[in-house]
Amino acid sequence: MISARADKVDAGRADHRLSNTELTRADRVLRAVSGVASIVPTGILVVIAAVMFVTALPSILFSGFSFFTGSVFNFGNLYATTTITHNGVQAPPHAVYGVLPLIAGTLATSIIALVLAVPISVGGVLMLSEIIPRKIADSMAVFLELLAGIPSVVFGLWGVAVFGPFLSAHVFPALTAIGHVIPFFKGPVGQGQGLLTASLVLAVMIIPIVASTTRELLRRVPILAKEGSLALGMTRYETVRVVTIPYIRTGIVAASLLGWARALGETIAVLLIIGDIYAVPSNVFGNTSTIAAWIASTLDGAFGDTTGAGIHALAELGLLLLAISLLTNFAGRLVVRKVSGGVLPVGRGV
Amino acid sequence: MRTGLIGGIALIGTLAVVACGGSSSPTATSSGTPKPATTGNPTTAVSLSESGSSLLLPFLQELVAPLTAKYPNITLAPSGGGSGKGITDAIAGNSLFGGTDAYLSPSQLSANPTLANIPIAVSAQGVWFNLPGITSLKLTGDVIAKIYSGTITKWNDPAIAALNSGVTLPATTIVPLVRQGSSGDTFLFTSFLSATNSTWSSGPGFGTTVTWPKVAGEGSAASNPGMVAACHTGCIAYIGVSATTAAQTAKLGEAMLANKAGTYLTPTPASIAAAVTAGAASIPSNLALSLIYQDGAQSYPIVNFEYLVVNTTQTSSDNALAIRTFLEWTIDPNGGSTAAFLGKENFVGLQASVPASVFSAIQAKIATITG
Repeated sequence: MISARADKVDAGRADHRLSNTELTRADRVLRAVSGVASIVPTGILVVIAAVMFVTALPSILFSGFSFFTGSVFNFGNLYATTTITHNGVQAPPHAVYGVLPLIAGTLATSIIALVLAVPISVGGVLMLSEIIPRKIADSMAVFLELLAGIPSVVFGLWGVAVFGPFLSAHVFPALTAIGHVIPFFKGPVGQGQGLLTASLVLAVMIIPIVASTTRELLRRVPILAKEGSLALGMTRYETVRVVTIPYIRTGIVAASLLGWARALGETIAVLLIIGDIYAVPSNVFGNTSTIAAWIASTLDGAFGDTTGAGIHALAELGLLLLAISLLTNFAGRLVVRKVSGGVLPVGRGV
Repeated sequence: MRTGLIGGIALIGTLAVVACGGSSSPTATSSGTPKPATTGNPTTAVSLSESGSSLLLPFLQELVAPLTAKYPNITLAPSGGGSGKGITDAIAGNSLFGGTDAYLSPSQLSANPTLANIPIAVSAQGVWFNLPGITSLKLTGDVIAKIYSGTITKWNDPAIAALNSGVTLPATTIVPLVRQGSSGDTFLFTSFLSATNSTWSSGPGFGTTVTWPKVAGEGSAASNPGMVAACHTGCIAYIGVSATTAAQTAKLGEAMLANKAGTYLTPTPASIAAAVTAGAASIPSNLALSLIYQDGAQSYPIVNFEYLVVNTTQTSSDNALAIRTFLEWTIDPNGGSTAAFLGKENFVGLQASVPASVFSAIQAKIATITG
């Protein structure tokens, strides 16, 4: 059925290539509609980026490069009698916008989450597809899909009410032993909110993304190659190592990047769990914030600033997050291209 | 959703008029004297939309029913959203009132010359701690600033012991709690720290968002009740008086804070009123006034007015009449400013605390609202 439909589409496309005069009215309508639709995604990205840039421009002028290198963020004295002006941009006195701790918090939470989630996802899915009997594996995979469908606010509530307190009571105290090797694990473990809790919850959130993509990839590994390797006397482990993994390697990179993008932009779950204060944490259990969480939680404070400088600063922060997301995406595509060498068919659709 | 709610309330208001058989002529109209403002029940139903401060919201919600009972054509429709939203909504005209823990600054007022700050009640902020067995401690702003800077880390630090002779302090690590995101409470608290500790003043300073110094184990919470819930053993937290009952129920201890004169006080109606009396001896014409760390032997040091920001130029005379009536009634000790309404939030009434001249200045400002 599906293949028949695909044939029709292909046939239509061939017709279209043949001659414009043979187009029916329906063809023309389709062409116009899909033509407009094809512009929309590009157009939206360009418009959003442009609007963000225009809104952020006063902040870029006001803060300059110190926006990225500074580690103090204060909307300033919103109730002062005067305003200050820098590079022609007005702001309340004492206003400072330096977002280095947010960049660090965003990268730290998302990378820790990724490092934890990728091995679990890939390992788990290999188990599902290679070892566990098909019938059981299929029903287990349903749970994976369901996990992907849980709204992030539910993850946030669960993290702040259940998971965080559990971690700080039973898991984190044991982790402080790592402090002898990595000093960043030393010191008080707090009350369950913070950098590590947020990273762990993010890991749980991106596992289904990485895992279900990897599962799709595994299905595409040619059965002949696997059977061949088994026929040559290789063990299951050797087959996975020599045939399966190399075949889906680029796909795993792509899947990880999807997960990373999700972790970078996740807002409400992180906002609820990370403690959301403007501080560089003294250890991995400490409270801090991320770009996305900080934009959401300080928007009200920014609205209180009628010079508009606060909103401009948050817009620049949004632009920065957009840039980081695009950069990771492009970097990912580059990695995929390098690794795959243009040969393997998977992993191109990041 | 919100529009629907407001619309619904307005509809109920209209039905109430119909039910009353149109007996809705203005009741109390006094002319000739400029103050107090002309008030009364408007001839048509007016829904007074409010958005803003979450601290102010429970108080305003209490006023909804008694206000309509007294003035059937006036319906108050408060909603939260935060002080920043209150200010921007009032400026944009999305709501008739913006509730805020702080006043519009002179620069904001000059940018929006028809807006006015109307104080409607007095609030304060307590500093609480959780040390089992200890119900009261004396603290100074200087010591609290050092705690939040991470230079004082144990409850039995000599600096705290020196203020509390006779109290056996445990060697518990201090866990400072702060408010997440941007917060009016953070603004008040850091203003107090800046006024009492020069290192804090030149370091983190004050604001609705500040960059907190690195303190191992510090915690955070999203609201005043959240601060109470997050205050476990060893914690210190700044909590608005609206959550005082919750803090007492949670068996937290309340710090007595040193005021400018060196007296140690908790926020009580008397100590809050004393701070207002000292700080509001005179008030600028825009009614914008900080009440932090005021003079006076009995003045509690962290006190603020709760404001409604309102446009003095309204689109209709009925709207203006309804707004004047609501505001006058809200600050009237025989109207909304009674112990029954204020007490639940531990707010203090205006007339009980500000000098008579300041109270008439507020009434005069209300009288300028026309349409």
